[in-house]
Amino acid sequence: MRSLVATYGRGLTALFCGLALIWLLGLIVLPQLFMLERSLWWQEQPAEAFALTKRIDDLYNEVSLLEFDRRAAEGEEVAQLEARIAAKRAEIAELEAVEVAPVRVYGLANYVKMSGLHFWIFVKTIFYAMLVTLLALVVCYPIAFAAAQLASPANAALLLLGLVVPYAINELLRVYAWLMILDYQGVINSFLAWLGLVDFEKRTWVPFLEYPGAVFVAMVYAYVLFMVFPMYNTMETLDRNQLEAARDLGASTWRTHWRVVIPHARPGIAVGCIMTFMLSAGSFAVPQIISRGTGGDWFSQLIYRQFFESFNWNVGAAYAFTLLLACIVFIFLVMRLAGVGIRDIAK
Amino acid sequence: MRGQNVELVDVAMRFGAFTAVHPTDLVVEAGEFFSILGPSGCGKTTILRMVSGFLEPSQGEIRIGGTPMRGIPPNRRPTALIFQNLALFPLMPVWENVAFGLEARGVDKPTRRARAEELLRLVALEGQGHKRPSELSGGQRQRVAIARALAVEPAVLLLDEPLSALDLKLRQHMRTELRAIQRRVGITFIYITHDQGEALTMSDRIAVMSQGRVEQVDTPDRLYAAPATAFVATFVGENNLVRGRITRAENGLALADTPLGPLRAANPHGLAAGAEAMLFVRPERLQLGPANGIDNRLAGTIARRALEGPYLHLAVATAAGTELLVHATNRGGLDAWQVGAPVEVGFAAEEAMALPTGPLAADA
Repeated sequence: MRSLVATYGRGLTALFCGLALIWLLGLIVLPQLFMLERSLWWQEQPAEAFALTKRIDDLYNEVSLLEFDRRAAEGEEVAQLEARIAAKRAEIAELEAVEVAPVRVYGLANYVKMSGLHFWIFVKTIFYAMLVTLLALVVCYPIAFAAAQLASPANAALLLLGLVVPYAINELLRVYAWLMILDYQGVINSFLAWLGLVDFEKRTWVPFLEYPGAVFVAMVYAYVLFMVFPMYNTMETLDRNQLEAARDLGASTWRTHWRVVIPHARPGIAVGCIMTFMLSAGSFAVPQIISRGTGGDWFSQLIYRQFFESFNWNVGAAYAFTLLLACIVFIFLVMRLAGVGIRDIAK
Repeated sequence: MRGQNVELVDVAMRFGAFTAVHPTDLVVEAGEFFSILGPSGCGKTTILRMVSGFLEPSQGEIRIGGTPMRGIPPNRRPTALIFQNLALFPLMPVWENVAFGLEARGVDKPTRRARAEELLRLVALEGQGHKRPSELSGGQRQRVAIARALAVEPAVLLLDEPLSALDLKLRQHMRTELRAIQRRVGITFIYITHDQGEALTMSDRIAVMSQGRVEQVDTPDRLYAAPATAFVATFVGENNLVRGRITRAENGLALADTPLGPLRAANPHGLAAGAEAMLFVRPERLQLGPANGIDNRLAGTIARRALEGPYLHLAVATAAGTELLVHATNRGGLDAWQVGAPVEVGFAAEEAMALPTGPLAADA
């Protein structure tokens, strides 16, 4: 802090710290607290009271309909409609006088009332996200290694540029591209049809989109960079002489990687895994677009439904928090496995 | 462990249009401490990498212990390489570093551990096996690298300027150490260096390289006393150079016409009269003061002087404008040798040497 003041002066330092604070509070802490609070209560009403509230809601709907009709009405119809509206309003006022407002009850019920099916989807999502992470790791490790150690600087730059260019395109478009490739009458099936292996007329196409693998492929493609770059960054700092030394001492390629490259790149591998896992576990667009309901839901889709289809923000917030907790547990697990601390990751 | 000889038969290395090593024949005897000495970019590291297997020569054949090495990868050659920056594995404890080669050969852990401890004793690092390389000093890390290379029982140890990162004191100490280790294990050492002091003090034989060519292969004594080319004469040790033309050549001696007047010198290459020549004479072979019966005598004044305790270094400016370096032993009477004082300098014909003109070390 003192060095900041010394470098930038009081004014700028206050500005930096203030902005950082606003960012922390406004975009991270407060929304999370709000969600946490939401997830910890629900509304309760006795059955009769609920029926009453429902009746009031229905009456309001009817009133709006009648008002709509009245605007189009002419002649004596107008007076007729106005009379009906007044009657309804009177009924509403009467009912509202005895209405019992729902009570807000605090507790952990939102967290424990997940149905068996939802819990299964939750477990499956975590498992799939791990699988995506593993796949991305397997795909990216050789790429990162080649770019960092084997390729000439010019080729490495080209390789990395090739990896970055697709990211200039919107994520949704990238996912749609996979949709076109994997669709029932998509690129692959068309090719198979051309080979005479499938027949569109008889609908004997391969239903790629119905397999979880389709979502995996699209996700690996969507998040590959988040795996490659942290790994590339650590591998690039590996002294090439270490590789030659290992080889000179008789180590096979496998042993050189296991004993020299991987231990060195561990922080990068951990960061790549964490990022890919978080992104895929929380990804909404990829499973939504790719499976379009033909495959099983991911947990992120369930959360979306709780919020915007059931309008049950309380359960939705609880689901979201459960996913967040699972991700945090995963982070610590990976850090433990890789034997790296927060400091290594921050690097 | 037993050393094996290394033979280079017509070996050359080209990278595109650039020739790093011109066709070279070289034999390193089994159990020899052999240095390859030359300025940076002379091709010495290329030779080392070809012997270790990281580079395949563009032409010619490398044999180790008589076995041709073409197509054999580094991990299957009877060589071990010590890198300039040592390339120890920083995340492994010292003993695992030392035992890495054994691990790669599938030796079980207790045996590896015991062998590592043995090797650490050989390099005087007993009981340091559990430390990380970063916890050791520069000299200790050096010895770990040597132990690690020796663990695979190589017939030939290749060293790529491993002392260059150390400070002077430690470097001088490690020279003796390296030499002692080599005597103890008896294997062939090929040592790459640009430091002539290192090469002269440690080696049985030295190959001096310049611009991809081996200029001379000889013992340190012979290399210093009888350099074969102008490059070697100027690269190994200090030398005074006088350019001239041979006017007479007989009985292994030559008389040359030089800006300093006619000078006599040994003529090992048998240069004929009329040939351009470079005359070399070592600063410590020049005698100060008047002396009778000496072949070559020159007069000048002392331009600079530096007293180094037992030695006195003088720069003598001659009438022709050439400066001669003189290293004299301090025998007292220093007052006579002050800057500006006139001196006479002389040397016997055998002390100087007429060599064909050629590139000098300063040009490389």
